[in-house]
Amino acid sequence: MTVWGALAGGFAGTLVLTTALAAGSHLRLTRMDIPFLLGTAFTEDRTRAKVFGYTAHFGAGLVFALVYYAGFVALGQAGWKLGLVFGLVHALFAGTTLVNVLLPVVHPRMGTPDSAADSSPLLESPGFMLLNYGRGTPTLTILAHLAYGAIVGIFVGASAR
Amino acid sequence: MFAAILDADRGGRWVLRPEGAAETHRRYVPGTNLLETTYTTATGRVRVTDVMTLPGRGLAPFRELARRVEGLDGRVAISWRIEPRFGYGLARTRIEPRTPFPVATSGTTALAACAWDAGRIETEAAAIAGRFEARAGTRTTIALVAADGEPLVFPARADVERRIETTAAFWRDWSARLAYDGPWRDAVVRSALALKLLVFAPSGAIAAAPTTSLPESLGGERNWDYRFSWIRDSAFTIESLLQLGCDAEARAFFWWFMHATQRTLPRLHVLYRLDGDTHTPERTLPLAGYRDSRPVRIGNGAANQLQLDTYGELLDAAYQYAHRGHTVGRQTAWDVARIADYVCSQWREPDSGIWEVRAAPRHYTQSKAMCWVALDRARRLVDRGEIPARRATRWASEAADIRRFIEERCWSEAKRSYVWYAGADGLDASLLLLAIMRYERPEAARMRMTIEAVRRELAAGPLLHRYTGADGLARGDGAFACCSFWLAEALAISGQRREAEHVMDELVALANDVGLYSEEIDPASHAFLGNFPQGLVHLALISAAVAMQEASQ
Repeated sequence: MTVWGALAGGFAGTLVLTTALAAGSHLRLTRMDIPFLLGTAFTEDRTRAKVFGYTAHFGAGLVFALVYYAGFVALGQAGWKLGLVFGLVHALFAGTTLVNVLLPVVHPRMGTPDSAADSSPLLESPGFMLLNYGRGTPTLTILAHLAYGAIVGIFVGASAR
Repeated sequence: MFAAILDADRGGRWVLRPEGAAETHRRYVPGTNLLETTYTTATGRVRVTDVMTLPGRGLAPFRELARRVEGLDGRVAISWRIEPRFGYGLARTRIEPRTPFPVATSGTTALAACAWDAGRIETEAAAIAGRFEARAGTRTTIALVAADGEPLVFPARADVERRIETTAAFWRDWSARLAYDGPWRDAVVRSALALKLLVFAPSGAIAAAPTTSLPESLGGERNWDYRFSWIRDSAFTIESLLQLGCDAEARAFFWWFMHATQRTLPRLHVLYRLDGDTHTPERTLPLAGYRDSRPVRIGNGAANQLQLDTYGELLDAAYQYAHRGHTVGRQTAWDVARIADYVCSQWREPDSGIWEVRAAPRHYTQSKAMCWVALDRARRLVDRGEIPARRATRWASEAADIRRFIEERCWSEAKRSYVWYAGADGLDASLLLLAIMRYERPEAARMRMTIEAVRRELAAGPLLHRYTGADGLARGDGAFACCSFWLAEALAISGQRREAEHVMDELVALANDVGLYSEEIDPASHAFLGNFPQGLVHLALISAAVAMQEASQ
């Protein structure tokens, strides 16, 4: 198990995850647009937001891969099955806490339950399990993160040999 | 989403009006595409301004339709009700109260009703509604914002107000630059503004009309989807945009259709989707239709017809583009040469003609003449050094054959006119294009006689029917508004300027209350028929007005 394996897996996994979410949008399964959500935290310009968002999402993908790596090292094993478990936990965390609670708190253009009259939130918040972005969003999010976890697990496991 | 005009029960709508009886006066804010409606009731007066806002700077919704209600006098009770029905009323629509505004969703499309000072917002199972009282000096704003495939952006009220003002300023600046200063400036400016709204900004394509299935005859089957871009309109569009000084739009449109046609060259599709795709399958929807005119169609089956006139119109557009000082480019030059070669091999075939007749193909006169125009414009582009001259001799020889065919087989001594198609007894209004597109000198004897004959046989007042005779469909249709403007232009360029101005004045008076035209007009009642507003009519209006200005100079 190496850090480089985790980073390579994180890059490949994020590629697949991002592509799956984009395909889900084109297949009319969800309105979740992660690059748009992340990018608008930095700029109000839609085009720049997408560029920033993709960059931030890939950066986050690498960071999470390192967290997975720490888990694999702690448990002394790595592989696609354990990756699936990590991916499921990751998806549930993202849907219930990370995107649903933490992102609105730090996102300057998204409202929270604490927003008052002196603020003007612009972006629609995700809601529990991101359901505000469409009924298919939780399923797609979980499947995409399962794929991400499995890919990171495969890369980290392979780098051990 | 809002298809109530095609089915009052199943289609969606957004109603905003005074409660009780009201007199209504509509106008566009001068020089803009902001629609202003003033309601006068027994208790007061209000002004409603409808705006499709431009996003401008900052994070704006994907699409935003804003309505501003200003109290002018007294007190007026206003009610509003938004009933979105996605997918022409056929898809499931979910409406739910959210913070800060209620949201309606279907699949990956969503909209939010953002309202300020519009009363308590009621979220019902199938509608979002409210009511309020407008008093002198009060102002209410309601913005319907939409998102597709991304989270909604909820605007702040100040941002909506700012976008309304910047949108108005944009339109005023844009229309002020239009280079026409003749007697019909108001009509020309309104036409140009309507055309600009038909431009699909992401590609530069221009839709024929923004509607589908508004019937050409009430209760009839001539209900077509015009939300596509026709090559036919290209020549008129390019020339009109250039005449009005809209170089950026002309360039975008020229490059769009040269790019869109790449996949099928040298063969041209009749029409293209606004994103350039050629897949436009026609199907019917289970809707009641406008005043029970069925079927309601989406897609357009005419895309698969052979319509030879499109080649002449495309090459004329390329010539006009070059003639006005633009560079055609090496690739386009080769494409133009290939199209000219293709015309040489195809012009002897019968086709469906400009009117997209859904009957057996015929040798339509206007189709043949436009084939001649195609080869003539190719030759002129060779003369300008814009395209390779490798087949110019063949183009000249085939053009001479086409002319011989038209003069021998498409002219009737009995009618003293060119006729609709080879061997026909009847005429059609597209024969006027032989003069407008300069197949023949407008003042030539045969052309003048044809203009006279078309007027004699097809006119109903200032209006023209497009043809007489069977076309494979039941029930007749109204007079074609674009043909009527062609008549005005043909009269002007053939030296009958006073008569042309008279016809033009009558036609301009037939516009609706805000200066727009549908595809057809009922000659008896002057009621509008067909899709609305139709770009080709407004193009013909601009072309006629400019031609008359040039004729007067």
